Amino acid sequence: MQEVATVATGPEPQRTEGPPRRSKAENRIRALFNQENIATMVVALIIGIAVILPLIALFINSFLVLDDSGWDTEWGFDNYLLMVTDRIIPKAFVNTILISSGSTVLATFLGVSLAWINARTNCPGRDFLEPYNLIPFFLSPFVGAIAWHNLAAPKTGLLNNWAQDYLGFETHILNVDNLWGVIWVTGIFFAPLVYLFVVGSLRRMDPSLEDSARTTGAGLFKTTMTVTLPLVMPGILSGAIIVFVTSAGEFGVPFKLSAPYGWETLTTQIFSKAVGDDANHYLGAAMSMALGIITVVLIWIQQRYIAPRSFTTVTGKGFRPNVLDLGSWKWVAFGYNVLYILVAVVLPILSLLVVSLHPVWEATIQPAQMSFINYEKTLFFWREDSIQAATNGIFNSLILALVGATLSMVLAIVVSYMIHRTKGPMTRLIDFLCVVPIGFPGIVLAMGVLVTYIQTPIYATLWILLLGYVTRFFPYGQRNVSSIMLAISEELDQSSRMSGASWFTTLKRITIPLLKPGIFAGWVLLFIIFLRELSISIILYTTGTETLSVGVYYLSNFENEPLTAALSMAQTIVLLAAIFLFRRVAGKEALTA
Amino acid sequence: MPIDNTQSDENYLEVKDLIKWFGDDPAVDGISFKIAKGDFLTLLGPSGCGKTTTLMSIAGLHSIDGGSIRVGDAMFTDPESGIFMAPENRDIGMVFQSYAIWPHMSVTKNVAYPLEIQKIPKDEINDRVADVLELVGLTDMADKMATQLSGGQQQRAALARAIVAKPRLLLFDEPLSNLDLKLREQMRVELKRIQNEVGITSIYVTHDQAEALVMSDDIIVMSKGHIEQMGSPVDIYSKPVNSYVSNFIGVANLLEGNVKKANTSGGEADVEVNVAGEPITLKCQLGAGLKQGDDTVLSVRPENVHAVREPDGAAPVPGEVTSAIFLGNYVDCRVAWGDFEWKVIAHPRMGLKEGEKVYLQFESEHMLAVQP
Repeated sequence: MQEVATVATGPEPQRTEGPPRRSKAENRIRALFNQENIATMVVALIIGIAVILPLIALFINSFLVLDDSGWDTEWGFDNYLLMVTDRIIPKAFVNTILISSGSTVLATFLGVSLAWINARTNCPGRDFLEPYNLIPFFLSPFVGAIAWHNLAAPKTGLLNNWAQDYLGFETHILNVDNLWGVIWVTGIFFAPLVYLFVVGSLRRMDPSLEDSARTTGAGLFKTTMTVTLPLVMPGILSGAIIVFVTSAGEFGVPFKLSAPYGWETLTTQIFSKAVGDDANHYLGAAMSMALGIITVVLIWIQQRYIAPRSFTTVTGKGFRPNVLDLGSWKWVAFGYNVLYILVAVVLPILSLLVVSLHPVWEATIQPAQMSFINYEKTLFFWREDSIQAATNGIFNSLILALVGATLSMVLAIVVSYMIHRTKGPMTRLIDFLCVVPIGFPGIVLAMGVLVTYIQTPIYATLWILLLGYVTRFFPYGQRNVSSIMLAISEELDQSSRMSGASWFTTLKRITIPLLKPGIFAGWVLLFIIFLRELSISIILYTTGTETLSVGVYYLSNFENEPLTAALSMAQTIVLLAAIFLFRRVAGKEALTA
Repeated sequence: MPIDNTQSDENYLEVKDLIKWFGDDPAVDGISFKIAKGDFLTLLGPSGCGKTTTLMSIAGLHSIDGGSIRVGDAMFTDPESGIFMAPENRDIGMVFQSYAIWPHMSVTKNVAYPLEIQKIPKDEINDRVADVLELVGLTDMADKMATQLSGGQQQRAALARAIVAKPRLLLFDEPLSNLDLKLREQMRVELKRIQNEVGITSIYVTHDQAEALVMSDDIIVMSKGHIEQMGSPVDIYSKPVNSYVSNFIGVANLLEGNVKKANTSGGEADVEVNVAGEPITLKCQLGAGLKQGDDTVLSVRPENVHAVREPDGAAPVPGEVTSAIFLGNYVDCRVAWGDFEWKVIAHPRMGLKEGEKVYLQFESEHMLAVQP
């Protein structure tokens, strides 16, 4: 081998001989124009339009005031003044806050206690119970409200009738047709949100932290209250905020349980301003702005201040910590957990099943009357007497869920790639745009989409629903993909480029195959979300573009309880199948935020 | 591999005035070097010195902010002229720190990948993959999934994948740093053997000086985005240009001093150092760039300082052994000389003990006065 020619390079770099150093600004402008950056900018533009346009439209429309004729508008703050002066809206505001607060307290208590029992104690049958604790997370709260109405409405509730028949009560003992009922149903359905935020850190917590408290003489209760729970407090707070925001944006439950009996909420009011008899999109936009600002601020606090802290509480060591021996109390814990599953999963589904089998429901079980006629009417689209809103809903929801989940995941992959693999100038903007939709309740975003596109050809088609679904929910898929992308080394991509493969070939042959589990889990999650979606659909649907949940809404409003229960059952069964699939592909802690 | 004695082969790879900014800090601040075809160059330095940034610039895994990089007759990047060749077009093989063996493919699939990208016929791919797997000693593992390999085997697979397409350049990003010591020492020799066999020009990044000394034809010592010195391992070790290089490579006794008398032609010089306030003059070799009156640092390797009980040469220096640690084939001693503590290597047979009075003898041809 040849001796080498070297350049004598002293300690001082020979800067003077080279070309003159260009300004950083000039370099940055030049750096803008390469393939990946152009792709990034295009994606940023698409997401920007999808996310920002409805919000701008919402903002502008909220300052347009409808005059008495109902045709002309002028600029003004009157819509916002109505928040205070209107006969109903201020009460709706208060009701929303009451429901969200109550639901947050209940869901947090349930979620934390159940997570603690499952992660930190020797409660029997934990591995068996855990998946059932999460099922309400995937089911439709609207259907939950329908089911609980069947169980505990004052006159027709099954539980009330049993209590009167067998326990000798004079009158009904339960009543869910009020704010308490809304709090009850949202609370038990959103408890898994808190559970998921807390259970991961509880499970990974270093047991020596608890042990050292015990050695100082603190008892089990004291240790739990002073060490265990404070350590997972960021997770608890995150979960509580998410529950508050989700409850405030929940439409189906108050629509079913409280609005008909005089307790309106912001979401039911937005709904009636969007499509009701007293439709006023501008006032609806203003109410959406009010609701959206509350939720965005809360989500911002959670994302900015609370979520980042939750990492510091866990040691990240991969050991299974010792669990606490509850002694004979473990059977109390077991009973408590079983009771939760009973009221959140088993009883609602059983009540739907029972009601759906009766051609006419008179609040008593009559085995002789049972038939499948309600299923035939709601599912058998070829039958003459099938109900169009229901059969349309099944078709449309399946199409929306399949196409929407696929489209969202494509977007999620590209966006995750942009955020984690390219260092282009748009990266932070895209990152931000992915958080924004999470901050707004579906009904608020839908209101924005409605006022933006109402005069375009996509209004009254499935496209507008698809747009609303994807815009609101693709960040969920993006999180699934991002978490895996963070875990796989960038060098796996780079070594493909060094092997001569282009950016696109690398994406196709290396990146996407490696992301497959995350992509599939995200896809199933979005499929589930889209299949039960109500609050976007209810604003954007028209006759012919009903979705499954809109079908349930239609039956509940214009037909009878048994038909409603039948379609609800059908939806629930498909969702349960999807949940089973999700657990198979995603594994135990895939959902833990 | 035969090498034509032409200018282009001498300057096969040329990095000129390379500048790369990260935010407002220059990670690489205007460095230049050339290497010949078939050469094995190591970029050596502590983390943050810019060595990996330089490698990534050559690979094209990020853009550069100034200067140019050329290999053979291919201009890789020259932002001044708006040239940026995409990494996949540069015809480079690269071995990453994490090995980056794709877990969803078998060993054979991993290694065949670069050839498949080039759309080479199936039969030829099979032959070449078999050849290269034999070269790295992985023939038995060909059908295993990448996840079933041990660290050392993944390393070999990564190397096989990097060389299978016979690239014009081979890049190594600290490839041995995740292996345990024994395996690392074994892989050094192995890597060098394979590189010799395939004869591909290679650039190797490491912070491990032993690795650099064993494997390289040439070493570039870097710090803070600059080149401190470039030279053969022997040159770098025995003729460091400054105290930084002297300290980074191997162990050195470093004394601050001043050049009192120097031959105009270089070579011998008298350097005055202060020991506990007393000026003492020592004879030494004057390094490049120094002249009479300059501040300097005396650099003396421990193996060039001899502790003796009976002085036999000129100007022995008296000292006291402050520690003597037996390390098998030698004794690692500290000898106090006023307020300076010498690192000295002694033969175990001498049986030096703590507290013993000794004399230190130096050979002036191994005493180097270098830039501070």
